[in-house]
Amino acid sequence: MTPLLAVDNLRIAFPSRTGPVEVVRGVSFTLGRERLGIVGESGSGKSQTGRALLGLTPVSGKATADRLEFDGIDLRRADAKLWRSLRGARLSMVMQDPKFSLNPVMTIGRQIEEAVRLHGGASEARDRSLAMLEAVQIRDPKRVMAAYPHELSGGMGQRAMIAMMLVTEPDLLIADEPTSALDVTVQVEVLRILDRLVSERGMGLIFISHDLRLVSTFCDRVLVMYAGQVVEEIAAADLGSATHPYTRGLLHCLPRIEGGVRPLPTLTRDAAWLVEKR
Amino acid sequence: MLEIVDLEVTFGRGLTRVKALSGVSLSVAEGESYGIVGESGSGKSTILRAICGLAPMGGGAIRLAGADVRTPRDPAFYRTVQMVFQDPYASLHPRHTVDRVLSEPLAIHGFDRREARIEQALSDVGLGAGFRFRYPHQLSGGQRQRVAIARALIVEPKVLLLDEPTSALDASIQAEVLNLLDRLRGERGLTYVLVSHDLAVVAHMCERLSVMQHGREVEELTRARLQARDASQTYTRNLMTASDGFTRAAAPS
Repeated sequence: MTPLLAVDNLRIAFPSRTGPVEVVRGVSFTLGRERLGIVGESGSGKSQTGRALLGLTPVSGKATADRLEFDGIDLRRADAKLWRSLRGARLSMVMQDPKFSLNPVMTIGRQIEEAVRLHGGASEARDRSLAMLEAVQIRDPKRVMAAYPHELSGGMGQRAMIAMMLVTEPDLLIADEPTSALDVTVQVEVLRILDRLVSERGMGLIFISHDLRLVSTFCDRVLVMYAGQVVEEIAAADLGSATHPYTRGLLHCLPRIEGGVRPLPTLTRDAAWLVEKR
Repeated sequence: MLEIVDLEVTFGRGLTRVKALSGVSLSVAEGESYGIVGESGSGKSTILRAICGLAPMGGGAIRLAGADVRTPRDPAFYRTVQMVFQDPYASLHPRHTVDRVLSEPLAIHGFDRREARIEQALSDVGLGAGFRFRYPHQLSGGQRQRVAIARALIVEPKVLLLDEPTSALDASIQAEVLNLLDRLRGERGLTYVLVSHDLAVVAHMCERLSVMQHGREVEELTRARLQARDASQTYTRNLMTASDGFTRAAAPS
């Protein structure tokens, strides 16, 4: 079976005064209908990797790859028209903060219906939007449809955004820190919704996060990124036996409720991790 | 050292009146580290802001070393109590060098030997003298938070109010800042009140903690009870479960 997504040697460079700086350096992976986590600290290139998959690399940046295929379609040569037919319909992305990603002057209902209309299905737009809001556990979907983003809490806004991204039933969802702005109890609910959609609809999910512990409880497989490279790829269940010192450092530097060592182990960064593997 | 009795804080008036805190009491002993945990909107940061005089007190009392604090707070209060804010990107003046950030409290409180004190403060938080004339944009998030801690400690306070001091930082940097705070408390016998949404951070840093929801205290726990997961309230137990991450088994299906 061909994978849903195949990425080989993805590189993203941004110009700077001292020449181009590569923020993603040779990332390769394949994705089936599974939950893949991409974990790293700020500046590791995890978000840029996610954006490049949707052709959303900022105009100043340059993304290249030896292979970038989604369901047999070569994304490297995609023109604006092809992107329009893919984005939203087959590939979609949930951003970190609902406050900045929802249109503040449109009601939630109109924003979700717009997504349905643009990708066919104008007649049942309202019904499908309502059903989707119910699917993301919004108790009073009619009220939320009529509400503006500022009238919703962070958790509700994030669920509305997930509803908008999923109403077109995409094959692949890229979620860039979808729960980082949320309280822990709401976070678990949102993850539960994503989890159900993956298992029920057979969707592929790329979950980008800085939180290694959270990702390890949620995803099937984890890519750990450091300075633009994947330093380790590991099944989430085996994270305890991770071999790369960076992965181990990230896991151990978190405090635990049960208590642990004091002072906390800190991460000693090794210059050798920066050297590009080939 | 610090005592809060039936503290009430209300923002706005008329229809937009919001009761942020309704009758919160807590007491922190000298040298203790006390945690306040809660989700957004629970009023946990408002407690710290009310202690500092940054939020209007609607009722109740705040006592420092047995005496009621005065409104507005006098300089002596700020000699004793200092605060470190959540976002090191927003809490440092973008056009002031580290040197200026650290000089200002010294000038306000009339300290002598300013040169030596600034250098000492920087080395205490693990930054070399080379950072003294840098601007905030030339520092990383962790370095900025160290400057914010140095700024608070330079007037030699006894109580440090910490409002989510590490939530804007990466996990590895968080560990460094928590270790720094832990070490400074041991060396100087400081009293901490630490606000966080992260139970694990509070469990690591604090001997006692209070769980807040909707402007009220849900329950008070000791570290030992938190670690043993011995909570009497459902809300606290839910918070503990959620902090462990996602559990597929618990999903209702």
